[in-house]
Amino acid sequence: MLRILLIDDTEKKVGRLKAALVEAGFEVIEAGGLTIDLPACVETVRPDVVLIDTESPGRDVMEQVVLVSRDRPRPIVLFTDEHDPQVMRQAIQAGVSAYIVEGIHSARLQPILDVAMARFESDQALKAQLLARDQQLAERKRIEQAKGLLMKMKDCNEEQAFTLMRRQAMSKQQKLIQVAEQIIAMHEMLG
Amino acid sequence: MNTFPRATPLAWVNGSDAPEKPSLDIGFMALTDCASVVVAATQGFAQQQGLTLNLKRQASWAGMRDKLVSGELDAAHCLYGLIYAVHLGIGGVAASDMAVLMGLNQNAQAINLSPALQRKGVTSPEALARLAHQNGSRLTFAQTFPTGTHAMWLYYWLASQGIHPLRDVHSVVVPPAQMVAHVQAGRIDGFCVGEPWSADAVAQGQGFTLATSQSIWPDHPEKVLGCARAFVEQCPNSARALITAILAASRFIEQSPENRRSTAQLLSGTAYLDTPLETIEPRLLGDYQDGLGNRWQDRHALRLFDQGRANLPYLSDGMWFMTQFRRWGLLREDPDYLDVARQVQQLALYREAAAALGVPCAELPMRSSLLIDGIRWDGSDPHGYARSFRLHAMAETPSARVGL
Repeated sequence: MLRILLIDDTEKKVGRLKAALVEAGFEVIEAGGLTIDLPACVETVRPDVVLIDTESPGRDVMEQVVLVSRDRPRPIVLFTDEHDPQVMRQAIQAGVSAYIVEGIHSARLQPILDVAMARFESDQALKAQLLARDQQLAERKRIEQAKGLLMKMKDCNEEQAFTLMRRQAMSKQQKLIQVAEQIIAMHEMLG
Repeated sequence: MNTFPRATPLAWVNGSDAPEKPSLDIGFMALTDCASVVVAATQGFAQQQGLTLNLKRQASWAGMRDKLVSGELDAAHCLYGLIYAVHLGIGGVAASDMAVLMGLNQNAQAINLSPALQRKGVTSPEALARLAHQNGSRLTFAQTFPTGTHAMWLYYWLASQGIHPLRDVHSVVVPPAQMVAHVQAGRIDGFCVGEPWSADAVAQGQGFTLATSQSIWPDHPEKVLGCARAFVEQCPNSARALITAILAASRFIEQSPENRRSTAQLLSGTAYLDTPLETIEPRLLGDYQDGLGNRWQDRHALRLFDQGRANLPYLSDGMWFMTQFRRWGLLREDPDYLDVARQVQQLALYREAAAALGVPCAELPMRSSLLIDGIRWDGSDPHGYARSFRLHAMAETPSARVGL
């Protein structure tokens, strides 16, 4: 059963979503309004999906969404009455996986949540791949830098420098990047 | 079958050769022959190909198989036979299309006997054959996976000594690193395993090495870089980059004795084999002691590169495992040996990677070898070859499915 953290941020707290969610067979944990610390709440409740019901997503809502996406990424579905495309864009940018205007029917909830979760997963995978690419590039640059320093120090060619670094790393059961960092640090200290 | 069309070679020429997936999860077992995978991942070889390899040590071959099929692992250091068994649907899981990206090594497995047998004077193949044919309790031998290379080396060797591996002895499955403990506990009389676990047993006084796998077939195929076929189809550039990185690492390891020694040091680390250097290094350098007082420099010790000869995914290598599955009744019917090997062995992708590094490739996808029993295997007649053995279990099936 899907575990849903429901944030009711509507003015009258009519709880229009709760009944529909329960009827559709979800486990619903309610948290009142957005005065709570949402990332902390997500951490304790560990929901499969965060559902925010708000008449109009203001700055506070966006802020909380950004924080969750950064620290405790979870699929976030926003139910709202706000039609403004500008607000919609902001919400998606902040990290909302689905933005649903009006019309809550229990029959529609499951597909909406399914899409939101699938979308969230593919976003996360993409983010991880981008992060890996960035990290790789950064490491490559550091290794190149260390190799250059070593070539000067040892007056050797590129391949010899690489081999020296690798042998050092392997005999210390380290990665090449660790030895590169040591060479750069040592050079900075002596430099 | 091909739901994801492979990128055309032209697209590659046009420069779209960036890995589709830059970060890969790679499985390995704590064995000396995982060396080039570990070196590629940690020593900057993968980075040069635009890849990050996340090494995932596995506890058993069956567990690794499940993760390869589910896609939890993108590729793995894997038993040759395991890939073919999954592809053909032999064993615990339904048939699932698999691929061999490259060979990782040749040689460096061994058959050991227990100290109890040693004390009884069973220290030669002849003595073992006599014991195995005596009435009384059957000896128990361990291998690492029912269709794996160790099962096949054990069966082939026993049969070459006139011992029927499925009738004259029991065989059980034990993960590589646990062999010594099983011998020590007296649960098994012998085992076939990859290094350093055979050397480790000798070093601990837990028996001796009766035969090396290279004495069965000099320069035999052993571990491969294996993956689900879906990975090759969805990420052909990542697959090619992975082959290139590991091939470059294997070349580096064999460039000098110093590099081999550093490799042994790296492997002994807790994240990899977690075993003393003294256990790993000698046999990695070809320095063998059998525990009976014999010491020799092995001319067919671990080969990780051998100018690319250890890495080319020969069709005849893949076919050989299918002929043995047939011989021992693991396959009830003959597969289309050549066709299956062509599907599984990713020769074209390997040749592209080798060309990028300037590593030579044999023209022919078959090679010819003479095995311990004097029978030659060259891939030309797999159907006839599978039937050429005096000892076999072709008509039977259930008893052959030990441990499945």
